[in-house]
Amino acid sequence: MSRPQRLSTNARPAGVLLLVLTLTILGGCAGSPTIQSPDRLGIPEQLKLDDVPFHGQRDYQCGPASLAMVLNASGVDADVDSLIPQVFLPEREGSVQPEMLATLRRYERVPFVIDGNFNALLREIANGHPVIVMQNLSLPAWPVWHYAVAIGYDLNARELILHSGMDAETRTSFATFDNTWARSERWAVVALPPGELPDSIGRHRALNAIADFQRATDPQTALPAWRTLAERWPELAMGWFGLGNAEHATGNPEAAADAFRQATEQDAGLAVAWLNLGLSLEALGDIDRARDALNQAAALPSKWRERARTALDELSSE
Amino acid sequence: MMKKLARVISPLLIACLVLGSLPVAAAAPNASSDGLVSTQDALSADQVQADRKRIDEVLSRQDVQEQLLAQGVDPAEVEARVDALSDQEVRDMADRLDDMPAGASVVGALFAVFVILLVTDILGLTDVFPFTR
Repeated sequence: MSRPQRLSTNARPAGVLLLVLTLTILGGCAGSPTIQSPDRLGIPEQLKLDDVPFHGQRDYQCGPASLAMVLNASGVDADVDSLIPQVFLPEREGSVQPEMLATLRRYERVPFVIDGNFNALLREIANGHPVIVMQNLSLPAWPVWHYAVAIGYDLNARELILHSGMDAETRTSFATFDNTWARSERWAVVALPPGELPDSIGRHRALNAIADFQRATDPQTALPAWRTLAERWPELAMGWFGLGNAEHATGNPEAAADAFRQATEQDAGLAVAWLNLGLSLEALGDIDRARDALNQAAALPSKWRERARTALDELSSE
Repeated sequence: MMKKLARVISPLLIACLVLGSLPVAAAAPNASSDGLVSTQDALSADQVQADRKRIDEVLSRQDVQEQLLAQGVDPAEVEARVDALSDQEVRDMADRLDDMPAGASVVGALFAVFVILLVTDILGLTDVFPFTR
Protein backbone atom coordinates (compact mmCIF):
# COMPACT_ATOMS: atom_id res chain seq x y z
CA MET A 1 0.00 0.00 0.00
CA SER A 2 2.76 2.37 0.88
CA ARG A 3 4.66 1.98 -2.39
CA PRO A 4 2.04 3.36 -4.81
CA GLN A 5 1.38 6.20 -2.40
CA ARG A 6 5.03 7.21 -2.34
CA LEU A 7 5.13 7.00 -6.08
CA SER A 8 2.20 9.33 -6.48
CA THR A 9 3.50 11.85 -3.98
CA ASN A 10 6.78 11.98 -5.89
CA ALA A 11 5.14 12.00 -9.29
CA ARG A 12 3.35 15.29 -8.86
CA PRO A 13 6.37 17.52 -8.17
CA ALA A 14 8.28 15.60 -10.83
CA GLY A 15 5.54 16.28 -13.36
CA VAL A 16 5.43 19.96 -12.48
CA LEU A 17 9.21 20.14 -12.77
CA LEU A 18 9.08 18.46 -16.18
CA LEU A 19 6.41 20.82 -17.42
CA VAL A 20 8.31 23.87 -16.17
CA LEU A 21 11.53 22.60 -17.76
CA THR A 22 9.80 21.84 -21.04
CA LEU A 23 8.19 25.25 -21.19
CA THR A 24 11.46 26.96 -20.31
CA ILE A 25 13.27 25.14 -23.10
CA LEU A 26 10.46 25.87 -25.52
CA GLY A 27 10.29 29.43 -24.34
CA GLY A 28 13.98 29.72 -25.09
CA CYS A 29 13.36 29.39 -28.80
CA ALA A 30 10.43 31.74 -28.67
CA GLY A 31 10.99 35.40 -29.04
CA SER A 32 9.90 38.28 -31.14
CA PRO A 33 11.40 38.21 -34.63
CA THR A 34 13.80 41.01 -35.47
CA ILE A 35 12.52 43.33 -38.13
CA GLN A 36 14.36 46.27 -39.61
CA SER A 37 12.72 49.65 -39.23
CA PRO A 38 10.10 50.39 -41.91
CA ASP A 39 12.20 53.33 -43.09
CA ARG A 40 15.21 51.16 -43.74
CA LEU A 41 13.08 48.50 -45.41
CA GLY A 42 11.28 51.16 -47.40
CA ILE A 43 7.82 49.77 -46.62
CA PRO A 44 4.66 51.34 -45.22
CA GLU A 45 3.81 50.74 -41.55
CA GLN A 46 0.70 48.79 -42.36
CA LEU A 47 -0.72 47.28 -45.46
CA LYS A 48 -3.26 44.76 -46.72
CA LEU A 49 -3.49 43.41 -50.25
CA ASP A 50 -7.17 43.69 -51.16
CA ASP A 51 -6.99 41.90 -54.49
CA VAL A 52 -6.23 38.44 -53.11
CA PRO A 53 -9.47 36.42 -53.21
CA PHE A 54 -10.07 34.01 -50.33
CA HIS A 55 -10.70 30.29 -50.86
CA GLY A 56 -11.62 28.42 -47.70
CA GLN A 57 -10.02 25.02 -47.44
CA ARG A 58 -12.09 21.87 -47.44
CA ASP A 59 -10.84 18.86 -45.49
CA TYR A 60 -7.05 18.87 -45.72
CA GLN A 61 -6.75 20.96 -48.81
CA CYS A 62 -4.93 24.06 -47.63
CA GLY A 63 -2.32 23.48 -50.38
CA PRO A 64 -4.68 23.72 -53.36
CA ALA A 65 -6.60 26.56 -51.64
CA SER A 66 -3.40 28.59 -51.12
CA LEU A 67 -2.35 28.02 -54.72
CA ALA A 68 -5.76 29.15 -55.99
CA MET A 69 -5.50 32.38 -53.98
CA VAL A 70 -2.07 33.42 -55.29
CA LEU A 71 -2.83 32.30 -58.85
CA ASN A 72 -6.09 34.28 -58.90
CA ALA A 73 -4.30 37.31 -57.48
CA SER A 74 -1.79 36.97 -60.33
CA GLY A 75 -4.58 36.96 -62.92
CA VAL A 76 -4.71 33.20 -63.52
CA ASP A 77 -8.14 31.60 -63.71
CA ALA A 78 -7.67 28.52 -61.51
CA ASP A 79 -10.09 27.00 -59.03
CA VAL A 80 -9.53 24.74 -56.06
CA ASP A 81 -11.37 21.81 -57.66
CA SER A 82 -9.05 21.65 -60.66
CA LEU A 83 -5.96 22.18 -58.46
CA ILE A 84 -6.70 19.30 -56.08
CA PRO A 85 -5.85 16.48 -58.54
CA GLN A 86 -2.72 18.41 -59.56
CA VAL A 87 -1.13 18.83 -56.15
CA PHE A 88 -2.94 16.83 -53.46
CA LEU A 89 -1.62 13.46 -52.24
CA PRO A 90 -4.71 11.49 -51.18
CA GLU A 91 -2.87 8.94 -49.02
CA ARG A 92 -0.90 11.62 -47.21
CA GLU A 93 -3.96 13.88 -46.97
CA GLY A 94 -1.75 16.82 -47.83
CA SER A 95 0.53 18.46 -50.37
CA VAL A 96 4.36 18.54 -50.38
CA GLN A 97 6.49 21.61 -51.06
CA PRO A 98 8.11 20.56 -54.38
CA GLU A 99 4.70 19.85 -55.86
CA MET A 100 3.42 23.24 -54.70
CA LEU A 101 6.20 24.84 -56.78
CA ALA A 102 5.64 22.48 -59.71
CA THR A 103 1.93 23.30 -59.84
CA LEU A 104 2.66 27.02 -60.04
CA ARG A 105 4.91 26.32 -63.04
CA ARG A 106 2.08 24.44 -64.75
CA TYR A 107 0.06 27.67 -64.60
CA GLU A 108 2.97 29.58 -66.15
CA ARG A 109 3.94 31.35 -62.98
CA VAL A 110 7.56 31.35 -61.82
CA PRO A 111 7.79 30.18 -58.20
CA PHE A 112 10.51 31.97 -56.25
CA VAL A 113 11.37 30.61 -52.81
CA ILE A 114 12.31 33.83 -51.00
CA ASP A 115 14.74 34.22 -48.10
CA GLY A 116 13.26 32.85 -44.90
CA ASN A 117 13.08 35.97 -42.77
CA PHE A 118 10.58 38.64 -41.82
CA ASN A 119 12.30 41.39 -43.79
CA ALA A 120 11.95 39.50 -47.08
CA LEU A 121 8.37 38.43 -46.24
CA LEU A 122 7.21 41.98 -45.46
CA ARG A 123 9.02 43.46 -48.45
CA GLU A 124 7.27 41.07 -50.82
CA ILE A 125 3.85 41.86 -49.35
CA ALA A 126 4.63 45.57 -49.60
CA ASN A 127 5.47 45.03 -53.27
CA GLY A 128 2.00 43.63 -53.85
CA HIS A 129 2.96 39.96 -53.87
CA PRO A 130 0.91 37.61 -51.67
CA VAL A 131 3.26 35.03 -50.13
CA ILE A 132 2.52 31.31 -49.62
CA VAL A 133 4.01 30.29 -46.28
CA MET A 134 4.35 26.87 -44.71
CA GLN A 135 3.80 26.51 -40.98
CA ASN A 136 3.78 23.78 -38.42
CA LEU A 137 0.96 25.01 -36.22
CA SER A 138 1.76 22.45 -33.54
CA LEU A 139 4.95 21.16 -31.89
CA PRO A 140 7.56 19.17 -33.81
CA ALA A 141 6.51 15.95 -32.01
CA TRP A 142 2.91 16.20 -33.27
CA PRO A 143 3.18 18.28 -36.43
CA VAL A 144 0.23 20.05 -37.99
CA TRP A 145 1.66 21.20 -41.31
CA HIS A 146 -0.23 23.98 -42.93
CA TYR A 147 -0.07 26.33 -45.93
CA ALA A 148 -1.44 29.85 -45.68
CA VAL A 149 -1.19 33.04 -47.72
CA ALA A 150 0.30 36.16 -46.13
CA ILE A 151 -1.54 39.18 -47.51
CA GLY A 152 -0.74 42.01 -45.10
CA TYR A 153 0.83 43.22 -41.88
CA ASP A 154 0.64 45.89 -39.22
CA LEU A 155 4.03 46.91 -37.84
CA ASN A 156 2.52 48.88 -34.96
CA ALA A 157 0.34 46.04 -33.73
CA ARG A 158 3.09 43.57 -34.73
CA GLU A 159 0.56 41.40 -36.55
CA LEU A 160 0.59 39.48 -39.79
CA ILE A 161 -2.61 39.19 -41.85
CA LEU A 162 -3.23 35.80 -43.43
CA HIS A 163 -5.78 33.97 -45.53
CA SER A 164 -5.56 30.71 -43.62
CA GLY A 165 -7.69 27.58 -43.46
CA MET A 166 -11.30 28.62 -43.05
CA ASP A 167 -10.44 32.17 -42.03
CA ALA A 168 -10.11 35.11 -44.36
CA GLU A 169 -7.88 37.97 -43.20
CA THR A 170 -7.05 36.42 -39.88
CA ARG A 171 -4.51 38.27 -37.72
CA THR A 172 -1.65 36.53 -35.94
CA SER A 173 1.05 38.15 -33.84
CA PHE A 174 4.49 38.27 -35.43
CA ALA A 175 5.89 36.21 -32.53
CA THR A 176 3.34 33.39 -32.79
CA PHE A 177 3.56 33.31 -36.55
CA ASP A 178 7.35 33.19 -36.41
CA ASN A 179 7.25 30.25 -33.99
CA THR A 180 5.04 28.25 -36.33
CA TRP A 181 6.87 29.43 -39.47
CA ALA A 182 10.34 28.62 -38.11
CA ARG A 183 9.38 24.93 -37.95
CA SER A 184 9.22 24.80 -41.77
CA GLU A 185 12.62 26.53 -41.88
CA ARG A 186 10.63 29.62 -42.82
CA TRP A 187 9.52 28.39 -46.22
CA ALA A 188 7.93 31.18 -48.28
CA VAL A 189 7.08 31.42 -51.97
CA VAL A 190 5.92 34.13 -54.33
CA ALA A 191 4.56 33.26 -57.78
CA LEU A 192 5.14 35.82 -60.50
CA PRO A 193 4.47 36.00 -64.23
CA PRO A 194 7.63 35.45 -66.34
CA GLY A 195 9.30 38.84 -66.63
CA GLU A 196 8.81 39.87 -62.99
CA LEU A 197 11.27 39.29 -60.18
CA PRO A 198 10.77 39.47 -56.43
CA ASP A 199 12.40 42.48 -54.85
CA SER A 200 14.06 40.48 -52.10
CA ILE A 201 15.52 37.64 -54.17
CA GLY A 202 19.24 37.00 -54.66
CA ARG A 203 20.68 36.60 -58.15
CA HIS A 204 21.55 32.91 -57.94
CA ARG A 205 18.22 31.90 -56.52
CA ALA A 206 16.53 33.88 -59.30
CA LEU A 207 18.72 32.23 -61.94
CA ASN A 208 17.92 28.74 -60.71
CA ALA A 209 14.21 29.48 -60.35
CA ILE A 210 14.05 30.63 -63.98
CA ALA A 211 16.13 27.68 -65.26
CA ASP A 212 13.76 25.29 -63.43
CA PHE A 213 10.77 27.17 -64.82
CA GLN A 214 12.06 26.84 -68.37
CA ARG A 215 12.67 23.14 -67.88
CA ALA A 216 9.04 22.64 -66.89
CA THR A 217 7.59 24.96 -69.54
CA ASP A 218 9.36 26.02 -72.75
CA PRO A 219 11.91 28.65 -73.86
CA GLN A 220 9.21 30.86 -75.38
CA THR A 221 7.35 31.10 -72.07
CA ALA A 222 10.55 31.65 -70.09
CA LEU A 223 12.09 34.23 -72.45
CA PRO A 224 10.68 37.35 -70.68
CA ALA A 225 12.02 36.03 -67.37
CA TRP A 226 15.54 35.70 -68.80
CA ARG A 227 15.34 39.22 -70.25
CA THR A 228 14.37 40.69 -66.90
CA LEU A 229 17.10 38.71 -65.13
CA ALA A 230 19.79 40.06 -67.52
CA GLU A 231 18.39 43.57 -67.12
CA ARG A 232 18.43 43.45 -63.32
CA TRP A 233 21.88 41.84 -62.97
CA PRO A 234 23.80 42.70 -66.14
CA GLU A 235 27.01 41.52 -64.43
CA LEU A 236 25.61 37.98 -64.02
CA ALA A 237 27.21 36.04 -66.91
CA MET A 238 25.00 32.96 -66.47
CA GLY A 239 21.93 35.18 -66.80
CA TRP A 240 23.06 36.26 -70.28
CA PHE A 241 23.92 32.65 -71.05
CA GLY A 242 20.38 31.50 -70.18
CA LEU A 243 18.93 34.36 -72.22
CA GLY A 244 21.12 33.32 -75.18
CA ASN A 245 19.79 29.78 -75.08
CA ALA A 246 16.19 30.94 -74.80
CA GLU A 247 16.64 33.37 -77.72
CA HIS A 248 18.28 30.64 -79.77
CA ALA A 249 15.54 28.12 -79.06
CA THR A 250 12.84 30.60 -80.06
CA GLY A 251 14.48 31.33 -83.41
CA ASN A 252 16.38 34.57 -82.73
CA PRO A 253 19.96 33.63 -83.63
CA GLU A 254 21.28 37.20 -83.70
CA ALA A 255 19.83 38.01 -80.30
CA ALA A 256 21.24 34.71 -79.02
CA ALA A 257 24.76 35.54 -80.25
CA ASP A 258 24.49 39.00 -78.66
CA ALA A 259 23.52 37.48 -75.33
CA PHE A 260 26.37 34.93 -75.43
CA ARG A 261 28.74 37.80 -76.31
CA GLN A 262 27.50 39.68 -73.23
CA ALA A 263 28.11 36.59 -71.11
CA THR A 264 31.74 36.40 -72.28
CA GLU A 265 32.21 40.11 -71.62
CA GLN A 266 30.96 39.72 -68.06
CA ASP A 267 33.04 36.62 -67.41
CA ALA A 268 35.84 36.01 -69.92
CA GLY A 269 36.60 32.71 -68.15
CA LEU A 270 33.16 31.22 -68.82
CA ALA A 271 34.18 28.64 -71.44
CA VAL A 272 30.67 27.38 -72.05
CA ALA A 273 29.57 30.90 -73.11
CA TRP A 274 32.47 31.11 -75.62
CA LEU A 275 31.46 27.69 -76.92
CA ASN A 276 27.83 28.63 -77.44
CA LEU A 277 28.87 32.00 -78.89
CA GLY A 278 31.09 30.20 -81.40
CA LEU A 279 28.38 27.69 -82.33
CA SER A 280 25.72 30.37 -82.75
CA LEU A 281 28.04 32.54 -84.87
CA GLU A 282 28.84 29.52 -86.99
CA ALA A 283 25.13 28.93 -87.56
CA LEU A 284 24.85 32.60 -88.60
CA GLY A 285 27.63 32.08 -91.15
CA ASP A 286 30.12 34.36 -89.36
CA ILE A 287 32.94 31.83 -89.61
CA ASP A 288 35.88 34.06 -88.61
CA ARG A 289 34.33 35.28 -85.42
CA ALA A 290 33.01 31.80 -84.72
CA ARG A 291 36.59 30.47 -84.92
CA ASP A 292 37.84 33.18 -82.53
CA ALA A 293 35.17 32.31 -79.98
CA LEU A 294 35.77 28.56 -80.25
CA ASN A 295 39.51 29.15 -79.86
CA GLN A 296 38.79 30.95 -76.60
CA ALA A 297 36.61 28.04 -75.44
CA ALA A 298 39.32 25.51 -76.38
CA ALA A 299 42.03 27.50 -74.61
CA LEU A 300 40.21 27.62 -71.27
CA PRO A 301 40.63 24.72 -68.87
CA SER A 302 37.08 23.43 -68.53
CA LYS A 303 34.96 20.40 -69.18
CA TRP A 304 33.84 21.97 -72.47
CA ARG A 305 37.33 21.91 -73.98
CA GLU A 306 36.81 18.69 -75.95
CA ARG A 307 33.59 19.91 -77.43
CA ALA A 308 35.18 23.20 -78.45
CA ARG A 309 38.09 21.37 -80.13
CA THR A 310 35.73 19.08 -82.02
CA ALA A 311 33.74 22.10 -83.20
CA LEU A 312 36.98 23.80 -84.33
CA ASP A 313 38.06 20.72 -86.28
CA GLU A 314 34.68 20.56 -87.99
CA LEU A 315 34.95 24.25 -88.82
CA SER A 316 38.42 23.82 -90.44
CA SER A 317 37.39 20.79 -92.45
CA GLU A 318 34.46 22.58 -94.08
CA MET B 1 -6.39 -20.87 -67.99
CA MET B 2 -5.72 -17.49 -66.39
CA LYS B 3 -2.33 -18.70 -65.14
CA LYS B 4 -1.34 -19.79 -68.62
CA LEU B 5 -2.42 -16.49 -70.04
CA ALA B 6 -0.47 -14.63 -67.38
CA ARG B 7 2.62 -16.70 -68.11
CA VAL B 8 2.50 -15.64 -71.74
CA ILE B 9 1.58 -12.03 -71.16
CA SER B 10 3.93 -11.23 -68.27
CA PRO B 11 7.24 -11.56 -70.17
CA LEU B 12 5.76 -9.61 -73.06
CA LEU B 13 4.61 -6.88 -70.73
CA ILE B 14 8.01 -6.70 -69.04
CA ALA B 15 9.75 -6.49 -72.42
CA CYS B 16 7.41 -3.73 -73.56
CA LEU B 17 7.93 -1.70 -70.41
CA VAL B 18 11.72 -2.05 -70.59
CA LEU B 19 11.82 -1.11 -74.26
CA GLY B 20 9.37 1.70 -73.65
CA SER B 21 11.61 3.22 -71.01
CA LEU B 22 14.83 3.02 -73.07
CA PRO B 23 14.13 5.77 -75.62
CA VAL B 24 13.38 8.13 -72.74
CA ALA B 25 16.89 7.62 -71.40
CA ALA B 26 18.41 7.95 -74.83
CA ALA B 27 16.47 11.06 -75.77
CA ALA B 28 17.01 12.90 -72.51
CA PRO B 29 17.03 16.68 -72.98
CA ASN B 30 20.42 17.63 -74.29
CA ALA B 31 21.75 20.15 -76.72
CA SER B 32 19.45 22.15 -78.95
CA SER B 33 19.50 22.08 -82.75
CA ASP B 34 23.01 23.44 -83.41
CA GLY B 35 24.71 21.54 -80.62
CA LEU B 36 24.55 24.44 -78.16
CA VAL B 37 25.08 23.58 -74.52
CA SER B 38 21.82 23.87 -72.59
CA THR B 39 21.49 26.13 -69.58
CA GLN B 40 20.67 23.14 -67.36
CA ASP B 41 23.87 21.36 -68.41
CA ALA B 42 25.95 24.49 -67.96
CA LEU B 43 24.55 24.97 -64.47
CA SER B 44 25.44 21.46 -63.32
CA ALA B 45 28.89 21.01 -61.86
CA ASP B 46 30.81 18.77 -64.22
CA GLN B 47 30.06 16.81 -67.34
CA VAL B 48 30.60 13.21 -66.22
CA GLN B 49 28.49 13.99 -63.21
CA ALA B 50 25.92 15.69 -65.43
CA ASP B 51 25.56 12.57 -67.61
CA ARG B 52 25.18 10.33 -64.60
CA LYS B 53 22.74 12.77 -63.09
CA ARG B 54 20.65 12.69 -66.25
CA ILE B 55 20.35 8.91 -66.10
CA ASP B 56 19.57 9.10 -62.39
CA GLU B 57 17.01 11.71 -63.12
CA VAL B 58 15.15 9.63 -65.69
CA LEU B 59 15.06 6.81 -63.16
CA SER B 60 14.08 9.18 -60.35
CA ARG B 61 11.25 10.60 -62.40
CA GLN B 62 9.88 7.09 -62.95
CA ASP B 63 10.39 6.36 -59.28
CA VAL B 64 8.49 9.47 -58.23
CA GLN B 65 5.70 8.66 -60.69
CA GLU B 66 5.32 5.26 -59.03
CA GLN B 67 5.37 6.80 -55.57
CA LEU B 68 2.67 9.29 -56.53
CA LEU B 69 0.52 6.46 -57.90
CA ALA B 70 0.99 4.64 -54.60
CA GLN B 71 -0.14 7.80 -52.79
CA GLY B 72 -3.43 7.63 -54.65
CA VAL B 73 -2.82 10.22 -57.35
CA ASP B 74 -4.95 9.91 -60.49
CA PRO B 75 -2.84 8.02 -63.12
CA ALA B 76 -3.88 10.56 -65.75
CA GLU B 77 -2.25 13.33 -63.71
CA VAL B 78 0.95 11.61 -62.61
CA GLU B 79 3.12 12.33 -65.64
CA ALA B 80 2.25 16.02 -65.85
CA ARG B 81 2.88 16.42 -62.13
CA VAL B 82 6.34 14.89 -62.31
CA ASP B 83 7.18 16.84 -65.49
CA ALA B 84 6.67 20.14 -63.70
CA LEU B 85 9.27 19.31 -61.03
CA SER B 86 12.85 20.55 -61.32
CA ASP B 87 15.73 18.04 -61.36
CA GLN B 88 16.60 18.80 -57.76
CA GLU B 89 12.98 18.51 -56.63
CA VAL B 90 12.66 15.12 -58.35
CA ARG B 91 15.78 13.88 -56.58
CA ASP B 92 14.49 15.16 -53.23
CA MET B 93 11.12 13.49 -53.73
CA ALA B 94 12.66 10.21 -54.89
CA ASP B 95 14.87 10.19 -51.80
CA ARG B 96 12.51 11.27 -49.07
CA LEU B 97 8.90 11.76 -50.07
CA ASP B 98 7.73 9.87 -47.01
CA ASP B 99 9.58 12.24 -44.67
CA MET B 100 8.43 15.41 -46.37
CA PRO B 101 6.00 17.58 -44.48
CA ALA B 102 2.63 17.62 -46.22
CA GLY B 103 0.61 20.72 -45.52
CA ALA B 104 -2.77 19.51 -44.35
CA SER B 105 -4.01 20.74 -40.96
CA VAL B 106 -4.97 17.42 -39.40
CA VAL B 107 -6.04 18.11 -35.87
CA GLY B 108 -7.88 14.83 -35.31
CA ALA B 109 -5.13 12.80 -33.64
CA LEU B 110 -4.06 15.63 -31.42
CA PHE B 111 -6.58 15.40 -28.61
CA ALA B 112 -4.19 13.20 -26.65
CA VAL B 113 -1.90 16.18 -26.27
CA PHE B 114 -4.68 18.72 -26.07
CA VAL B 115 -3.59 20.23 -22.76
CA ILE B 116 0.04 20.72 -23.69
CA LEU B 117 -0.89 22.32 -26.99
CA LEU B 118 -3.46 24.49 -25.25
CA VAL B 119 -0.73 25.86 -23.00
CA THR B 120 1.74 26.33 -25.83
CA ASP B 121 -0.99 27.99 -27.88
CA ILE B 122 -1.65 30.48 -25.11
CA LEU B 123 2.09 31.12 -24.90
CA GLY B 124 2.12 31.81 -28.64
CA LEU B 125 4.47 28.94 -29.37
CA THR B 126 1.87 27.11 -31.43
CA ASP B 127 -1.29 28.07 -33.30
CA VAL B 128 -3.41 24.92 -33.29
CA PHE B 129 -6.67 26.09 -31.75
CA PRO B 130 -8.24 29.20 -33.25
CA PHE B 131 -10.13 30.00 -30.01
CA THR B 132 -6.90 30.83 -28.15
CA ARG B 133 -6.25 33.87 -30.34
